Amino acid sequence: MALTDADLVARVLVDDDHHAFAELVRNHQSSVRGLLRNLVRTDVTLADDLAQETFLKAYKNLRSFRGEARFSTWLYRIAYNCFREEARKRKELVGIDEAQLEAEHDPQTVDPALRHDLARALELLPLHERSAIVLCCQNGLSHDEASRVLEIPLGTVKTNVLRGREKLKKMLAAWGSN
Amino acid sequence: MDEKLQEDWLDARLRDEAPYLDDAGFTSRVVQKLPARQVRRSSRVFILLGITLAACIAAFWFAGGTSFAIDTYTNVAMLPVMWMWIFAAAAAFLVMAGGLAAALSRSRGRSR
Repeated sequence: MALTDADLVARVLVDDDHHAFAELVRNHQSSVRGLLRNLVRTDVTLADDLAQETFLKAYKNLRSFRGEARFSTWLYRIAYNCFREEARKRKELVGIDEAQLEAEHDPQTVDPALRHDLARALELLPLHERSAIVLCCQNGLSHDEASRVLEIPLGTVKTNVLRGREKLKKMLAAWGSN
Repeated sequence: MDEKLQEDWLDARLRDEAPYLDDAGFTSRVVQKLPARQVRRSSRVFILLGITLAACIAAFWFAGGTSFAIDTYTNVAMLPVMWMWIFAAAAAFLVMAGGLAAALSRSRGRSR
């Protein structure tokens, strides 16, 4: 019988069982790496580095996981914080900001050859809408869980998902992907 | 109805756009970076008791065995009462300090 996340967490906490933690990583690596890939857009190596940092932080702070939320939700929150920290560092180093990136990825100016692609459409969304869409529509979180991960009000998450979806539909319809 | 179909289609596409990512050594890289395993608390107690017992036996053996114990007993019995009180107070202080240190390290471990 497969162990639940709660069982594995308990084993790590009681016995410092690295095998149990490896099982947790194996169970969640795909969704965490996928989330980070969507957040950082194109840099797969950076996304994997952040995912690694996420799991190491999770290991160090496992005692603070109270089991009130799902383990995956707790992990996504750490992953999102890692991403925000990295984005802040990069912004300071390179002096770019999200608004500038969004201007560079204006749907009107994007290469038509790349258009039949939902991933590309997702990349064109502003970060707050992209994060909400990825968490709710791809990773299967409820709006409430997403609001806890992103640390924003529930209403804002709903609005971001709604606006993001509208934009995606418009982009995909305009590109004639259906 | 078109709107609903479009919603379903978008949801399905979004789910499909999140395929399962193969582990490809990711888990082992994470596990390699984990801090070294700590010795279990119960094992730590046994190790500490074992070392103490071994040290006692060694001290007893090298100090001349039973004659050492008898000499020590005689010497202690001949000490002035004041000194006995001082030794008792020092022993009590050491035990208290040990207990306090253990309690502090335990509460620090919990708050981490």
